[in-house]
Amino acid sequence: MNHIIEIQSLSKKYGHLTALDDLNLSIETGAVVGFIGPNGAGKTTTIRVLTTLLQPSSGEARVKGYSVVSEPRKVRSLIGYMPDFFGVYEEMKVWEYLDFFAACYDIPDRSRNGLIDDLLTLVDLRHKKDVYVDSLSRGMQQRLCLARTLAHDPEVLILDEPASGLDPRARIEIRELLRELKNMGKTIFFSSHILSEVADICTSIAVLEAGKLVAYGNMDEMKRKFTPYRLIQVRVIDQLNKLYESLVGVPQVANLKQAPEVDIPSETLQFEFSGNDHQLSRLLNELVEANHPIISFNEVTRDLEDVFLQVTKGIVS
Amino acid sequence: MSEIITTPTGQARRSVRQMRNPVMIRELRSHMRGRRAFSVLTVYLVLMSSFILLVYLAYSTAVSNPFGPSSRQAGKAVFAAVLAAQLFLVIFIGPAFTAAAITGEKERRTYDLLRTTLLSARSLVSGKLFSALSYVLLLILVSIPFQSIAFLLGGIAPIEIILSQILIILSALTFALIGLFFSITMRSTIAASVITFGTAIFLTIGTPVLVGLVASLFGTFFFGVSSPPWPFEGLLIYLGLALAATNLPATLIVSDFFLVEQDALFFYTELIDGHSVLLFSPWILFLALYTLLAILLYWASVRQVRKVARR
Repeated sequence: MNHIIEIQSLSKKYGHLTALDDLNLSIETGAVVGFIGPNGAGKTTTIRVLTTLLQPSSGEARVKGYSVVSEPRKVRSLIGYMPDFFGVYEEMKVWEYLDFFAACYDIPDRSRNGLIDDLLTLVDLRHKKDVYVDSLSRGMQQRLCLARTLAHDPEVLILDEPASGLDPRARIEIRELLRELKNMGKTIFFSSHILSEVADICTSIAVLEAGKLVAYGNMDEMKRKFTPYRLIQVRVIDQLNKLYESLVGVPQVANLKQAPEVDIPSETLQFEFSGNDHQLSRLLNELVEANHPIISFNEVTRDLEDVFLQVTKGIVS
Repeated sequence: MSEIITTPTGQARRSVRQMRNPVMIRELRSHMRGRRAFSVLTVYLVLMSSFILLVYLAYSTAVSNPFGPSSRQAGKAVFAAVLAAQLFLVIFIGPAFTAAAITGEKERRTYDLLRTTLLSARSLVSGKLFSALSYVLLLILVSIPFQSIAFLLGGIAPIEIILSQILIILSALTFALIGLFFSITMRSTIAASVITFGTAIFLTIGTPVLVGLVASLFGTFFFGVSSPPWPFEGLLIYLGLALAATNLPATLIVSDFFLVEQDALFFYTELIDGHSVLLFSPWILFLALYTLLAILLYWASVRQVRKVARR
């Protein structure tokens, strides 16, 4: 398997505080990895080490085989970094901002004009080319920042909370942009605390807590692994107690609940089902044959939040 | 887009890149944008002209008096006034620009962005340094024509102007590097500015005061009110010249004394207690010291920028 980012036994200590503790993580080329974890888990520390900004206490991190410690220049040519805060230069126009950073990436003068137009078109800011950067909205600034990370056509994008502080529309725009970059074949590694967004575009997630990687893998695998049962809701007309009695004895059924114990409509029962598809189908058949007046029988979709809650313990390093 | 990334090689390409330093271009664009730069330059020239005019009027009035100063002295006064203004620029304005150069990036949170690009530490340091210096040098250059008034009045030799401008420009570089170094090592502009101005004031005013105090205490303690015996007197003169060479105003004054009074650009021989002593003009040592200090500060600044954070 072709891994573009490899982190091995990475640790970072600040005095007695351990920010990263023996972190091991390998990211495939073209993957979109959501890096999630509570505040203080070590996400930004990992990102700062990967972007050559911070010296690790021990361990190794490599981007496309280049060490972030001994070959930082090679690593910088491969990554595009977007911090969690957009630093603004005063009295600088949008095109000047991109031109400046393109020059910092050694892109020759003759190529820069076309490149700036392409980048602004990609992030839908071409009409703002001659506007001062500090007059842009937060969402536009974030899109401009993303355009900046693409100036040297990096293979890997490392984004620290790309959607933080944005309004819903701007978040959607950033999400769509990330999706487009994913289609362009970029490897994207980004931290976020907005789990629904991570779930929407990620191929894999890595969960960090107290400096340790507590879970990492493909989204679907993670959901299966960390939510081993299905959550089923059944709604009937009037005869909730009769339905309850029928379900109590079923071996795969556990944790039967009804409103107001859980936030579900009245005349509805919710339970955890540990069986497979066949067993679930058989259960539904049996209930129908037993003349339960069922008006709905559905599986509640489990999301990333369930996985997150399952794998983290609420510890902050 | 990948084909547009190039890695320049060879001395010629490096030179071209240095001239097209993106940090320098960005800073210059920012400094010169709008009316601010033009206004500062105009105000500076108006103040300078008024100051020179006042000095000229005061002296020309005095010159009309048969017992007053000569026009040569008026020329010297104008020359000194222009130099004083240039000293102020070099010691306070240049470092004020550079002290905020890197801390400004840290405060705007753009420093990390720069450090993850392919911009080298040397390009960052030299870009910041020369963009700050260029404005100060512009102010110095526009004040040189005022020296022509000194020529009109007489009393000033071209070598005096050339020497003083060389010393001023080297000092501008060194003082700007002091500001830049502290800007790199400190977290905030306020802290960097305080320590930069503290150092500049110490180097300009502090050292002569300290030397004066030590000399008077030392002299009184060892030799009382009489002058010290040979070879102590010779040693003290050398020490005094060496100390003068650490200080820009002292170097300018003493070097001018060598030029005007002794007609010596480099050295002259003085008879002390019957011994002939070769005395060197302090500007030679000053050039060596400040060049060395500038090189050291530049090297330390580049090293500091290159260093990966541990915290």
